[in-house]
Amino acid sequence: MGSAPQRSPEPFDTRSSMADTPKSRPANESGDDSSPNGSRPLEELRHLILAPEQEALERLNQRIENPESRTEDVSNVVAEAIQRRRTQGGSDALSEALAPTIETALRESVRKDPGTLADALFPVMGPAIRRSILETLRSFLDSFNQIMDQSLSWEGLKWRVEALRTGRPFTEVVLLHSLVFRVEQVFLIHKKTGLPIAHAVAPAVAMQDPSLVSGMLSAIQSFVHDSFHTGQGQGVNRMNVGDLDVWVENGPYAILAAVIRGVGPRALQERMAETLENIHAEYAARLDRFDGDTAPFANIHKELARCLEAKFKEESKPRGYGYAWAAGAVLLALVGGWLGWRWWQYHRWSELAATLGNQPGLTITSFGRERGRFVIHGLRDPLAADPEKFVEDAHLNRTQAEFHWGAYYALDDALVQQRAITELAPPAGVSLSVKDGVLHVEGRPPAKWLNDLRSRGLLIPGIRTLDLGRFTPEQIAFDEAKGKIQVAVVRFPVASAALSSAERANLRNLLPQLKEVLNASVAPHGSVSIEVVGHSDTTGAEETNQNLSQRRADRVAWELIQLGIPDASLHAKGVATGEPVRPEDSEENRQYNRSATLRVITGAAAAP
Amino acid sequence: MIQKKICMLGSFAVGKTSLVRRFVESIYSESYQTTVGVKIDKKVVSVDGKEITLVLWDLYGEDDFQKMRWSHFQGASGYLLVADGTRRGTLEKAVALEQKAREEVGPIPFVLVINKSDLVDEWDLDPEMEGRHEAMNWTVLRSSAKTGEGVEEAFLQLTRKMLG
Repeated sequence: MGSAPQRSPEPFDTRSSMADTPKSRPANESGDDSSPNGSRPLEELRHLILAPEQEALERLNQRIENPESRTEDVSNVVAEAIQRRRTQGGSDALSEALAPTIETALRESVRKDPGTLADALFPVMGPAIRRSILETLRSFLDSFNQIMDQSLSWEGLKWRVEALRTGRPFTEVVLLHSLVFRVEQVFLIHKKTGLPIAHAVAPAVAMQDPSLVSGMLSAIQSFVHDSFHTGQGQGVNRMNVGDLDVWVENGPYAILAAVIRGVGPRALQERMAETLENIHAEYAARLDRFDGDTAPFANIHKELARCLEAKFKEESKPRGYGYAWAAGAVLLALVGGWLGWRWWQYHRWSELAATLGNQPGLTITSFGRERGRFVIHGLRDPLAADPEKFVEDAHLNRTQAEFHWGAYYALDDALVQQRAITELAPPAGVSLSVKDGVLHVEGRPPAKWLNDLRSRGLLIPGIRTLDLGRFTPEQIAFDEAKGKIQVAVVRFPVASAALSSAERANLRNLLPQLKEVLNASVAPHGSVSIEVVGHSDTTGAEETNQNLSQRRADRVAWELIQLGIPDASLHAKGVATGEPVRPEDSEENRQYNRSATLRVITGAAAAP
Repeated sequence: MIQKKICMLGSFAVGKTSLVRRFVESIYSESYQTTVGVKIDKKVVSVDGKEITLVLWDLYGEDDFQKMRWSHFQGASGYLLVADGTRRGTLEKAVALEQKAREEVGPIPFVLVINKSDLVDEWDLDPEMEGRHEAMNWTVLRSSAKTGEGVEEAFLQLTRKMLG
């Protein structure tokens, strides 16, 4: 088309073209006519006969030589011409011819103003992108569901074990068990050269070099063809190796080979045949001319990808997204369980805090959770129970919590009492008790310890009052005097009531104590009297002893009267061997029973 | 992507397979050759800034080339004609193979490679033999699959010829 204007207009030259037509055989202008003189009339004759045609030809010639009119002519038919060419079925060549121009035009348009093309594409791009995203999401959901299905089921566990045992990747084991079939790779191979024209591969399939596989496949085809002298268009249709099948579909220019794992359905074979037919219908000319350049076949990939079918076993189908939901439920249960456990932990620790708060000497000021640990702030008396013991008894995990104790003195009676005992160290026979902040003393405290108590007692935290009413100086003096009197033993010779001078002196020495006791007017004691008790040893007759002991008591009472003790305050009685001073197990102890002793009688009993 | 099928032609034990092995990384074992009659390898070369994928069909050659599977030769864009410099007969066979190839697929580009140039002292060729082939407008190269000399060059020359 483009070379036409450069051509010389020779073919349309009226003279030369007319020269070939036998119908009109006019002499040409070169003048090789036999009669040069007759040229004029001939010219006229020709003019007369051919004038209208000549003019028409002249006009035609001008029209063709004039680019403007020619452009107009072509513009009238160009659209119809393209259309007709397409209906004639030669659209391949047309597209091929137009493609570079259109590509250049598009590039030029983008270079000048990208906006124009963007605006034109805008309504197309939105839906295209949406669809692509949707497809991606759907395949993701499907595979997620499948993985959940396989991971959570009993079979899934079995397959994991199998994968571990055989050292094969888990996905491969799953495929082996759950797959009915899957088309892993599809090759479109140029029949004559054995070169791959296009190749499609399913996701996550380990693929070999398409050139080599294609070459080998076509080599095998021709090998079989040669070896068994099969007819044209016949060849290997199926190859089977273990789990893999290779299906081959033969076409005039290309063969379609599919690598299938599992058992492919008959429908797949039909689809392959259909695909190969479609490819031949559209690309026959280019396939015939194939010289190793795959660029013109870029679009075939889509066609091949449609053959990458897969089908999984039915059982997982009806479950739909059940396992995704189940996984969600499990997740929810886990979260719920975790929250519940957290709450239970909180509950138990707060209970412990309450228990601790109820202990004497322990006060909880705050309880809370910080950075995942329980934190208990409080005050603790040094004598309070050990909080760690309570944690142990409650079987709580000690590492979950931390304690912050401040020291303080608690005012609980029990603790104050314990503190007082620790501080005052009461001697044997003396006991301390605290009630409502009052310290009570029981027993017979020595005067020195009591003095110590008086000076320090109120310094002990929690003790507000000392109850020492019974421990007045008078009472103490009375008690001391009484004690001295009652331990004295006035001894007599054998079978005698005669008082030696030494014993008399001893009695005289007791005089201050006797006076102290008798003069005491301490409220609770009331009246006080002295009882003189005479004793005898166990030798001799009972009657004699009774008599003797009475005489000894009388003798001492008499002596006391002599010393100035009013006889109204005295009472003498003999008890013979009835109340021995010491057990008579030696001569010395027997000596002590030949005696008289004194007893201080107080209260009602003291009445004579 | 541009791909070209090329074949290795030559008598038995001239070193076709060794030349290929020098040139490519292979995934197939050589036992294919005896079973199917061919072993296929691939090499991507760059010529004048163009990437060309060469698919090499290493045909199993018996001394009696009639037994070679010429069907494997169909569709080749070019071939390497290999002879052994230490065996005069292989060069004569090469001439015959070239003729047979022309009968099978018509005139296509080829390069004559005289292999085992590392053993040039043991060569059994008349000096004019190489020249004679060059005079026939053949491209003749010396190569050594052992040292690698001329191997790459042979394939590149063939590729250039195929691209015209």
